[in-house]
Amino acid sequence: MAAASTSNSPARWVVLPHYAFAALSFVVLSVLLLFSTDAFGGHYFNPKLLTLTHVTVLGWATMLIFGALYQLLPVLLDCRLYSEKLAIYTFGLLASGTVLLACAFWHFQVGALLQVAAILLFAAFLLFTINVFQTARKAPKWTIEADFIVTASLWLLVTGLVGVLMAFNFTYAFLPEQHVHYLQLHAHIGMAGWFLLLIIGVGSKLIPMFLLAHTENTKKLNWAYNFVNGGLVLFIFDHLFLHTVFVPLYAALVAAGVGLFLWFLYEAAQTRQRQDVDLGMKQTFVALALLLLPLVLVFVVSSKGSLPQELLSSLYLVYGLSVFLGFLSALILGQTFKTLPFIIWMHAYEDYVGRFKTPLPKDLYIHTLLRWQNLCYLAGFILLIMGVLLRMPPVILAGAICFTVTALLYATNVFRMLLHKAHNLKPFTYGNANA
Amino acid sequence: METQTPDFGDEVFETLKYIIDPEIGINIVDLGLVYRISLDEDVLEVELTLTTPGCPMSGTITKATEQILLKRFPNLDVKVNLVWSPPWSTDMITPEGMRQLEGR
Repeated sequence: MAAASTSNSPARWVVLPHYAFAALSFVVLSVLLLFSTDAFGGHYFNPKLLTLTHVTVLGWATMLIFGALYQLLPVLLDCRLYSEKLAIYTFGLLASGTVLLACAFWHFQVGALLQVAAILLFAAFLLFTINVFQTARKAPKWTIEADFIVTASLWLLVTGLVGVLMAFNFTYAFLPEQHVHYLQLHAHIGMAGWFLLLIIGVGSKLIPMFLLAHTENTKKLNWAYNFVNGGLVLFIFDHLFLHTVFVPLYAALVAAGVGLFLWFLYEAAQTRQRQDVDLGMKQTFVALALLLLPLVLVFVVSSKGSLPQELLSSLYLVYGLSVFLGFLSALILGQTFKTLPFIIWMHAYEDYVGRFKTPLPKDLYIHTLLRWQNLCYLAGFILLIMGVLLRMPPVILAGAICFTVTALLYATNVFRMLLHKAHNLKPFTYGNANA
Repeated sequence: METQTPDFGDEVFETLKYIIDPEIGINIVDLGLVYRISLDEDVLEVELTLTTPGCPMSGTITKATEQILLKRFPNLDVKVNLVWSPPWSTDMITPEGMRQLEGR
């Protein structure tokens, strides 16, 4: 029998600050949402909406994904993280870049402040990509998960590069097309290239693992990888050079890739040995169901059809909301409670297990708060998209209030875990272990 | 399983049942993670695996196994080997583990 290596986990200071920053960002974005109900009545190119979107995608989603990935990469790739120091620098750059970018957009200062923020963020993405790529190179076996994660980090770099170009274009106007043209490119590379590929890569490993399911055949994932990347490359080429009417076809390729991923998960779920589904996994299933909404809307907004301009504007907003505050946020709200308790538990109790009775990771957070968090989130999301579609600010405000409650419940549980310390442990007394 | 006496082997397995996989909430014996135990003079050797290679729990479960066996059998040296072959599968879960997984 071949001997295995010991734990590859990084130090806690590499991972945990990301969770703290992400939780605070979620609270900030919810509070900003309370003051932005008027912004949902028009075009998506609005300072408040740009602020909300970037706090969501950078401070909330990307920040948490970076932190979780530093913990999960060693699990997924079976090797140590290439550089913990690089990860800490990346955190500093991403955090400072996000704060500056949010300030620049909220006050719509599109000069030096925005440019500095964009450069800081691009530097963060570059260091992150180097760290991921070098870690994957050390992996004993190159897997489909490595394909997804490395490619996703490259797309993140491209998203950042387009963002830098746009930040400078505000002042120097060197790009040939209108700003919104590149904003669509920037958004779709970020959504499909960064978030979607990464989530498929990580989710295809983690979700079956949490369900104790068999997942040996990766053919569907290979095709999902080809379809999502193919659709995205064709979209970029068309958007930059051709301007044809085939955009729904590229959307169909991406949707087919997502469909294959969901099919892979469905087949895995059929073989699961674990019947109890905890609140974190339930919320993950809600997120996967919510993924269907942007998949439908992408066809509507890309084909445009003969819809009235006002309705089309609302649908664009709902499309963006369904990705960022729908699928992405729901997934993070669920997966935080599958990853963070485990990380905290490992650091707090590693030295005590086998000598003292220790709690389990699921004992480190308050389940009632999590249950209410999930309910408030769903109510907030439904109210928000209804309010935007119906153009009713009071309904949007009700959604924003639900989101704020969600964020406060989430942050309470997260900081409770982050501040957790082992205490009053009792030594084992041997008897019936299963009792 | 190679042991000097059947009673001793049972005692080792019963002791290892105190180590719970923190994610699944089932002890490592009923989860089928303990592949082999052997006693050679004063050295108690345990071969165990994890549900997935690269699992961040590897250090924790290895250390826990060492600590609990040293505490239970203070006169023995304990050696824990983490192995990936044969790879763990859900078929290795004991009937008691399956009962717990199904919430019965």
